[in-house]
Amino acid sequence: MSAAGLHATFAAGSHCATGCSQKEAIWESGKLKLYRYRPIARPTGGVPLLIVYALVNRPYMMDLQEDRSLIRGLLAKGVDVYLIDWGYPDGADRFTTLAEYIDDYLANCVNEILQTHRLQALNLLGVCQGGVLSLCYAALHPQRVRNLITMVTPVDFHTPADLLSKWVSRIDVAAWVNDGNVSGDALNQLFLSLMPFRLTQQKYVDLLTGSADRARIENFMRVEQWIFDSPDQAGTAFREFVTWLYQENRLALNRLEIAGRKINLRELQLPILNLIGKRDHLVPPDASAALQRLVGSADYTALEFDLGHIGMYISARAQREVPAAIANWLASR
Amino acid sequence: MDAADQFTAAARAFLESTASVSAPGAGEAAQVFSDFLRERFGDLQMPWNSGFGAGVARGAPPPPLGDLPALGATREHQQRWRRMAEAARRMDDAQRRLQRLWSDALREAAAAFTAQISQPQPSAVSAEALRTLYDNWVDCAEEAYAHMAHGEAFCNALAEFVNASSQWRGELQASTEHIAKLLDLPTRSEINTLMQRLKSVEELLRAAPKDSEPPIAPRRKRATRRKAKK
Repeated sequence: MSAAGLHATFAAGSHCATGCSQKEAIWESGKLKLYRYRPIARPTGGVPLLIVYALVNRPYMMDLQEDRSLIRGLLAKGVDVYLIDWGYPDGADRFTTLAEYIDDYLANCVNEILQTHRLQALNLLGVCQGGVLSLCYAALHPQRVRNLITMVTPVDFHTPADLLSKWVSRIDVAAWVNDGNVSGDALNQLFLSLMPFRLTQQKYVDLLTGSADRARIENFMRVEQWIFDSPDQAGTAFREFVTWLYQENRLALNRLEIAGRKINLRELQLPILNLIGKRDHLVPPDASAALQRLVGSADYTALEFDLGHIGMYISARAQREVPAAIANWLASR
Repeated sequence: MDAADQFTAAARAFLESTASVSAPGAGEAAQVFSDFLRERFGDLQMPWNSGFGAGVARGAPPPPLGDLPALGATREHQQRWRRMAEAARRMDDAQRRLQRLWSDALREAAAAFTAQISQPQPSAVSAEALRTLYDNWVDCAEEAYAHMAHGEAFCNALAEFVNASSQWRGELQASTEHIAKLLDLPTRSEINTLMQRLKSVEELLRAAPKDSEPPIAPRRKRATRRKAKK
C-alpha cells in the first residue's frame, strides 16, 4: 500500500465509534450509568443478565463492533442484557471504597433491575475485576443472584504464573496511592510491561505488514482505543483491591471483609459458570480455575477457551463460542 | 520507520551472508545480528523510566546537603530535603539495577536467538524471511524477559523503585504545600480533609434507608385487588 493510502486508511480507522448496539441509560448515580440494551431478537423472557465490567478499563469492549460483540451475541440469543458503566473517576472520587462499589453502586443497580422486573433475583456476569466484585456481591446478597457467571476473573491471586501479583507484592501501595487516584496511564505502563516486545512493537509490525483491509484496521484501532482509554482509579478502592487481593490474597483465603461482613466463597451455593482463557497473560488460568475448590456450589461449570485475555471478548472464536455457552448454560437453569 | 529500516538492513545483511557461507561463518553473522538487536532494544522505554505514576527520578534533583546535621529554625525543611535526596538516590540505584537486569535479559535473548539462527538459513532474502527472523527474535526476547521479570531480583528492584518514587513524591508534595501555606493557597491535604468530612456526612445520610434492604415487591395479580361487587 502507498504511504498516502496507508495514511487514509488509518485516518478512517481512527474515528471508530465505541459500542455498536443500541442501549438506554435507565439509571444514573454520579458518574455511574446503568444501561439496558435494546433487544435484537425475540426475548426469551428469562431472567435479565447484568454485566459487571472491571473498573480498570471501559466496558465498551463488550460491544466493540457488530461482529465483535459479546453483548450482541447475547442479545441475538434473546437475553435481556444490562451493563454497568462505572464512568471516569476523578479527584472527587479518591476516597470511594471497594465496599461502596460493591454494596452501594452495584447493589443499587441490582435493586433497580429487580424492581423494574419485579423479580427476586437476577443473573450476574462479572468480567475480570468485575468478576471479583460480582463474587463479593453474590456472597453478601445471595438471595438476589440467581446464577453467577465469571469471565477471566482472578480468584487466587498467588498462583505461580501471576506476574502482576509478584510485582506488587513488595510495593508500599498506600504510599503509592497517597490519598490520590492512580492514573490510567500508570496502569497502562504496568500492563504493557508484562510483554513489552509484543505489546509495544510486534503488534504494530503486524498491523503494518498485514493486509490493507479497512475492516481489519478499524478493528485494530478500536481495540487500540480501548486499551489506552483507561480511567483513573479511585485511590482508596484501588489500594484496598491491591492490598487485600493481590498482596494478601484474602478472597482465596476466605479472609476478605466488605462493609464489615465476611466474604465466604464457601457459602456461595448458587449455580456458577466460570469462563477461563487458557492463554490469558493478565489473569492466569489457574488464578480463575481456583474458584472451583473455593465455592460451595454443587452446580459449578468451568469452560476453558484457547484464548488470551482480550481474545475472550473480541476474537472471532469467542464470538462463535462464548455467547452461545452463556446463553445455553442460562437457558438450562 | 527508522527502526524498521535498520532492522531490515541488518536482517538482510544477515540472511545474505548466511545463505552463502558455512556453519562457522553463519555463527559469526548470527552473533553480529544478535548484537545489533541487543543494542537496538537496550533503550526501549520501560516503566521504571517514568515511575508508574509515582514520580520521576530525573525530574528535579534536590540540592546536595552533605552529612551535616540539620540545625536551627529550618531544621524540619533541611530534613525533608535530606529525605528527598535519599529517596532520589534510592530511585537512581533501583533504576540502575533494573537497567542491568534488562540488559541481562537482552543478552540472554540474543544468545538464544544466536543459537537458533546459527545454522545456514534455508530461505533466500524475502519479506517473509525477514518477518520470520523478527518474530523469532521477539519470541526469544519475551521468553528471556519473562524469566527475568518473574525473578526475585527484578521484583525487589521494581518495588524499591516504586517505593522510593512514592517517598520522593510525598516529600515534594509536603514542600510544595509548605509554600502554598505561606501564600495562603489551599492545599491538597486541606481539600482531602474537607472531602473526608463530606463523605462522612453522606454516609450518615445514606445509613438510615440502608438499615434494611428494600423488599422486592412480588407481582400482584390484578384479580386479587378488585373488590367484589355487592
